[in-house]
Amino acid sequence: MNMTLRKRGTGMRLTAVLLAAVMVATACGSDSDDTSPSATTVATETTAAPEAPETTTAPTTEAPATTATPTTTTEAPPVGPAQGGDASVGLEAEAPGLRPWEDTCSSPCYNMMAAVFDKLFEQYADGSYGAFLAESISANDDFTVWTMNLRPDVVFHDGSELTAQTIVDMFVVHQTGAQSAGVIASSKLINVEATGDLEVTYTLSGTNAIFVANLSRAPIGMVFAPSTGADEDAVTAAANAPIGTGPFMVDSRDVDNKTVMVRNPNYWMSDSFGTQLPYLDSVTFHPIPDEGTRLSSLASGTVTAMQSLRQASIRDARDTEGLWLFEHQGNNTGGGMFNVTVAPYDDARVRKGLITMSNQAATIEALGGEGISLPTTQLFASESPFYSEAIAAAYPTHDMAAGSALVQEYIDDPDRSDGLAVGEKISVTLSCPPDPTLIAAMQVSQVLWEASGLVDVELTGFDQATHIGMAVGAADGTFIGTHDIHCWRWGSEDDPAAGMLSGFGDPFDPSGAGALNFSNWYDEEAYGYVVEATLTDDVAERAALYEKFGLIMVEAMPIYFSGGTATVIATAEGLGGLDSWEMPDGEAGIGHPSAEGRWSQAYWAAE
Amino acid sequence: MLAARLVRLVATILVVSFVTFMMVNLLPGDPINALVPPEAQNNQEFVEQLREEFGLNDPMMVRYANWLGDAVTGDLGKSVITSQPVAGEIWRRLPITAELALVAIGFSLFIAIPLGTLSAYKQGKRVDQSISAAAQVSLSIPNFVLGLLLIYVFAMRLQWLPATGWTRLTESVSGNIKSVILPALSLALAEVAVYTRVVRSDMISTLQEDYILSARAKGLKDRFILFRHALRPSSLTLITVVGLNVGALIGGTVVIETLFAIPGLGKRLLDAVFQRDFLMIQGITVFVAVVYVTINTLVDIIYMLVDPRIRKKV
Repeated sequence: MNMTLRKRGTGMRLTAVLLAAVMVATACGSDSDDTSPSATTVATETTAAPEAPETTTAPTTEAPATTATPTTTTEAPPVGPAQGGDASVGLEAEAPGLRPWEDTCSSPCYNMMAAVFDKLFEQYADGSYGAFLAESISANDDFTVWTMNLRPDVVFHDGSELTAQTIVDMFVVHQTGAQSAGVIASSKLINVEATGDLEVTYTLSGTNAIFVANLSRAPIGMVFAPSTGADEDAVTAAANAPIGTGPFMVDSRDVDNKTVMVRNPNYWMSDSFGTQLPYLDSVTFHPIPDEGTRLSSLASGTVTAMQSLRQASIRDARDTEGLWLFEHQGNNTGGGMFNVTVAPYDDARVRKGLITMSNQAATIEALGGEGISLPTTQLFASESPFYSEAIAAAYPTHDMAAGSALVQEYIDDPDRSDGLAVGEKISVTLSCPPDPTLIAAMQVSQVLWEASGLVDVELTGFDQATHIGMAVGAADGTFIGTHDIHCWRWGSEDDPAAGMLSGFGDPFDPSGAGALNFSNWYDEEAYGYVVEATLTDDVAERAALYEKFGLIMVEAMPIYFSGGTATVIATAEGLGGLDSWEMPDGEAGIGHPSAEGRWSQAYWAAE
Repeated sequence: MLAARLVRLVATILVVSFVTFMMVNLLPGDPINALVPPEAQNNQEFVEQLREEFGLNDPMMVRYANWLGDAVTGDLGKSVITSQPVAGEIWRRLPITAELALVAIGFSLFIAIPLGTLSAYKQGKRVDQSISAAAQVSLSIPNFVLGLLLIYVFAMRLQWLPATGWTRLTESVSGNIKSVILPALSLALAEVAVYTRVVRSDMISTLQEDYILSARAKGLKDRFILFRHALRPSSLTLITVVGLNVGALIGGTVVIETLFAIPGLGKRLLDAVFQRDFLMIQGITVFVAVVYVTINTLVDIIYMLVDPRIRKKV
């Protein structure tokens, strides 16, 4: 098969469409209100959907709908971009470092990295993938060899030139990177070769139809000067002095205080009118961990923009005058999981019974997301091409009687797995990081479950690192974990294939295929569908496979959902461009999912 | 005398470093979880390599001995998370936390000494009662609440001062002054209450001394007597408390540094705990202990300078 990315005006369709969820993620906690929740109305002013990308191969002629479209409560700026000006952005955390291959990154850190580094591929507004620093890519018939052409005349901040050899040298660094080594393995990448000045050939050990998704994000999709990974000293220095090809160059970095980035005068990209990017002269990132003072900083003019992944902050920002809000709610959703290796969660009647008793609307309210977050029933938001009405219909709605009946059935079962006598209540432990809104949400579940008279509920809370560690469980050499019912966040705008593979693999497989399977639920038939979905780039076919998987999962209920996670980038009036940035071909980009802004095309609207 | 103090200082630091090391190792969670993303943790070879690199496979006592051996040469190791040298991080952040603590103490002394003196001078009168009541109120307000209030008034409403952030002295003197005022005031208020009470209490005793009566009998002005003759002998307890507080402030600015997004030692310590960055926790904790013990030794020396009676005893 030969696949080429669309170019401006020609528009060819890239296969691997988009979006969606992956598991994992960051569990609750610092990054957000984990289980956050849903909402009522979110004004969805979609940016004009671009023409669907095409692939030369595939029957995927229909443009996939998108979950990735920004949700904005702000009116579009009255006039277009103006050159110049500065922005200062309050982030919810500091980046541990600015090395895509090495540093653990989440939303705040990606805001910074995206300013320094370009990605080989980026996502369009509809979530499909398009060329960014690369110019095109094609794959052989079984998706094991991918040939990519780079954009010419691109230089790094240090003046060195981007060539195919750069990508090869990056691969050497990737193989030992804390972040990249795992992705190389999971993407099946085994060799990178320069087959021309600007032509790179990736060889995979097996079929991976959505390999482009790996090239569209850190750790292996962001392009850095390989010299920054050359030796230990260079790697250490690169944490604070990264070298990329991106729109901004790091001017100074005072960790935990501010990172000042200035315009890259040699940036390769121009907007549709031929104006060289970026528009802003500089952008400064300030980590401001406290949600309240971050908003106060914006309201008082200490910073000119801020991000938040918390529903309560979105609510407060909406009540603050003089701000533009760029909200987004895609596939990211709060929820949790049962550790199915532990009784009584090893019985589907208990799992489904508890979730049937739960009340998502009340949970959303407790999380401060009323009127902000949308209810969720699966790993994909309703705009995703992988969204399934059938799964939505099958997901339990709040019904105390039906939920109690399921738990009662377990309690009356002489062979009940927890070893207690028939008729005795079950005991469950629910755990979230100790965030006030998460505690409130846990209390909603506690009240409902205990109201049945069938369940004793213990609530616990650990800091985020411990919380995640309990679910990952790798410290003991296994990936089973020590958790019970555990808050978690699910879904993202990335292609779901890779995440679902390890997220639902066999947790007992010694190869570690199920390392990300935090609930430890494994169903051979369901997993077969997930594997099959990585062998094709046909969206409809993949959607059907994910639906089959999802219907089995809803019956087993190893994981559950408590409402979508809305995010926001709030700016001082006049600072816009976050939802209207363009790809090199002039089509609209994905916007600002997870409050990750592309500051290269942010601008101060002219007076 | 000095040698004995030094021995005590070293012993204290050794105990603190060992206890900290033990405690950090007892924290739940594996540093590898913070360092390596879950999807990479199934790469056992890679994980093992990292464990070796950070010495996580060695027995705890071996790790402690290795750390101690390096620490005496000034090498406190590297952050597991950022791979930056711990000592470098401490030196980079110390001026910020030290400045914050010193300005906070300066603010609090500036307010507390006159208030405490006035309170003692007007003992039992309405002024004294009002000052005591105000001190009681300020003691009961958590400093982060005061911080939020100050941000609301001076940043949001009046827009005189920045709500968050830090400008280094080397960058801009005026910017630095602006950025230190609100956090320092937030820290200072509770200290004002304590210092005021300490000054008042000692001053009341001093004012009953014979030499004060004699000064009054000579017709010296009250203000002269209070600040020239009574304040110095009334400040011994104050010096002790301030000395104890300097150490406590350096390690205890966690909340205020987080609230105001100040890149000091306290915030770094908090982040390190959440990230299971064990070498960073160890390094900062031991450093704060060293500062604390050293300052208290200095306080003892200042005692001797302030009070000739102590100097004579020594």
